[in-house]
Amino acid sequence: MDINFSKEDLAFRDDLREWLANDYPKHVKEKMDKGEHLTRQDMVDYHKALSAKGWMGYNWPVEYGGTGWSATQLYLFNKEFGMAGCPPLLAFGVSMVAPVIWTFGNEEQKKRFLPDILDFNTWWCQGYSEPGSGSDLASLKTKAVKEGDHYVVNGSKTWTTLAQNADWIFLLVRTDSTGKKQEGISFLLVDMKTPGIEVKPIITIDGDHEVNSVFFTDVKVPAENLVGEEGKGWTYAKFLLAHERFGIAAVGASMRALNQLKEVVSELNNSDLDKKVAEMEIAISALEMTELRLLSDLENGGHPGAESSILKIKGTEIQQGLTELFVEAAGEYALMYPGAGGYGSNDKPSGPEHAAVSLERFLNFRKTSIYGGSNEIQKNIISKFVLGV
Amino acid sequence: MNLSYTEEQVMLREQIQKFCETEYDFYKREEVVKSENDFDANAWSLFAEQGWLSMPFSEESGGFGFGPIELSILFEEFGKSLVIEPYLSNVVLAGSVLDKSNFEGKVELIENICSGSVHVSLAYAEAAHSYEYLKPDTNVSDDNKLNGTKTLVLNGKNASKLIVSCVMNGELSLVLVDTSADGVSFNTFRTIDEKTCAEFTFENVSIRDSDVIAAGDEAKNLLTETINLATLCISAEAVGCMVSCYNKTVQYTKEREQFDQPISNFQVLQHRMVDMFIDSELAKSLLYKAMLEVDADSKDKFKHVSALKAHVGKFGKLSAQNAVQLHGGMGVSEEMMIGHYLKKMVAIDAMFGNADFHLKSFSK
Repeated sequence: MDINFSKEDLAFRDDLREWLANDYPKHVKEKMDKGEHLTRQDMVDYHKALSAKGWMGYNWPVEYGGTGWSATQLYLFNKEFGMAGCPPLLAFGVSMVAPVIWTFGNEEQKKRFLPDILDFNTWWCQGYSEPGSGSDLASLKTKAVKEGDHYVVNGSKTWTTLAQNADWIFLLVRTDSTGKKQEGISFLLVDMKTPGIEVKPIITIDGDHEVNSVFFTDVKVPAENLVGEEGKGWTYAKFLLAHERFGIAAVGASMRALNQLKEVVSELNNSDLDKKVAEMEIAISALEMTELRLLSDLENGGHPGAESSILKIKGTEIQQGLTELFVEAAGEYALMYPGAGGYGSNDKPSGPEHAAVSLERFLNFRKTSIYGGSNEIQKNIISKFVLGV
Repeated sequence: MNLSYTEEQVMLREQIQKFCETEYDFYKREEVVKSENDFDANAWSLFAEQGWLSMPFSEESGGFGFGPIELSILFEEFGKSLVIEPYLSNVVLAGSVLDKSNFEGKVELIENICSGSVHVSLAYAEAAHSYEYLKPDTNVSDDNKLNGTKTLVLNGKNASKLIVSCVMNGELSLVLVDTSADGVSFNTFRTIDEKTCAEFTFENVSIRDSDVIAAGDEAKNLLTETINLATLCISAEAVGCMVSCYNKTVQYTKEREQFDQPISNFQVLQHRMVDMFIDSELAKSLLYKAMLEVDADSKDKFKHVSALKAHVGKFGKLSAQNAVQLHGGMGVSEEMMIGHYLKKMVAIDAMFGNADFHLKSFSK
């Protein structure tokens, strides 16, 4: 047993750190460090900087222009970027739709879409959830009817993250409602500029505009934008969700938050809070080791079972728990939010800096135990594994 | 980075598992509990034959030189089957102190521990100093007489020799005392995990210079290192208990039928078992971390053992409580094994610093 990374992996980690020190766009770093909102352009700059380095395809095979990184390299990438406080990478293009396209799409689609994803020329969003279909995704109703060389799409999607910024959306649509609900689902790629698409903001309890409703009224989508076979969309959707798990433990980001929290708490002289922080630190250590055990297992050719669901549940509980401790540390300043500029602005209310962003984060992070398969769904997945059914 | 066990380590685990399954089931354990000795002489000689009693000792002391990883494997498996043999008191506590000391008679004494012919216990605890082992009241006077009372001496009643922590010449010392010596008396008590401990009183017991195992900083280090290793071991035992708690609960809920179906069909029970599973996996992860740090003799080894002990103290008890709850009335029946895991988890939490104590040590 050896917990140390190889020389090669450590050299790789140094490369990551060098990029973070020199090439991580300064204006993005400054805003992130202050807990400010990023603009669309900030996000584009950040992703394009990664493209320029050749790291945008971090989890892609080399043949499509990806890095071909090992599981360990991916782990280090995620951890180092998290510890540096970088924005989470937008997953929708690079790690959600792209693997579906290269696995199930045709040559034409690969040529048309993959290079732009790699260069971050297109911003993708995800059309999965619907008002009536959350955890029970297969019950989705948005309909696509084939008319000649087009599909005509009618229906609506919801909780669509950053759809207001997106150029393209990948959609799960119902092309057949006669058989089992999992059958008759198809996977479509849709240009957001197509007539008949309307994006309406959903303001979340932190006051932010992150998610949207997207309405489709007689939207004509060329039939060539169908991925794979009609009616096989559910298979592709499940395949995609398996890719979404990457980095879900967010150990690096949580370690960064913990270190900031420890600094704040060290000045408060509050032994109750000290104890909670110690428990949190132990929980993060346990999560980190669980991820390393999974990694070691993967590198040794193993096929882990329920571990990724453990990482989702514990990772998000820890992320949320950290935001809760920041709110506790803010004391009565937790009362004041938002600042003078109102919701969504970068104005800070008065009080210490850590208190100023604590409420917003606390509220924003409630989403983590809901998205990506709610934590209760994860427990259902683990229970199948534990019970052996 | 590679966190898999070596082939040798996997074999060791299988060997111990085989022993537990074939020679030490719950009925056998009950026999041992009810016997005079409180340990099984046959099992103990088998441990000696298998080399388990010599496992952690250095080669110069006649051992195999195995480290904390192998010890953790052994204790994890003991935990799964609630083995009550006095391994911790003889091999880990008394044995480690001797092995790492410069005591002249250590090789002979360790040989006797390895062969199973002699029981030795470490008398580290005093009633007035809970979890504080470096400042005993027990002392050796200027005319070399030992006086004081040591409590919670594990397996004390079977021990022919004790290693007693005391103050001698103004500094912490560890001295070897024959339990049959004049002035030594003891009472035996049961512990809730079905072992026994003894309270020893020393009244003007003569100590020769050659009985002193270590003094000053050496004694302090020996005691601190040994308690840390023992804490790792019982935490590994707790991990084994946690694994058994959820395995046995899963099995039980799949067999138990109510409302015309196995109760494992009910989601509220499933999610509780998932929590038990997750907590045991996290405990395993902290065990990996702690045993690797101890193995590397790193400066953070105490901190990571504390993290592990704090976690199993809290979540081990929670797992066992859940196991009892999901077994319904059977869970609180003395004749069923499941309730005994709860007792074991309470015992483990109480030993060498409970969850709160180790949370504080961790954040220091």
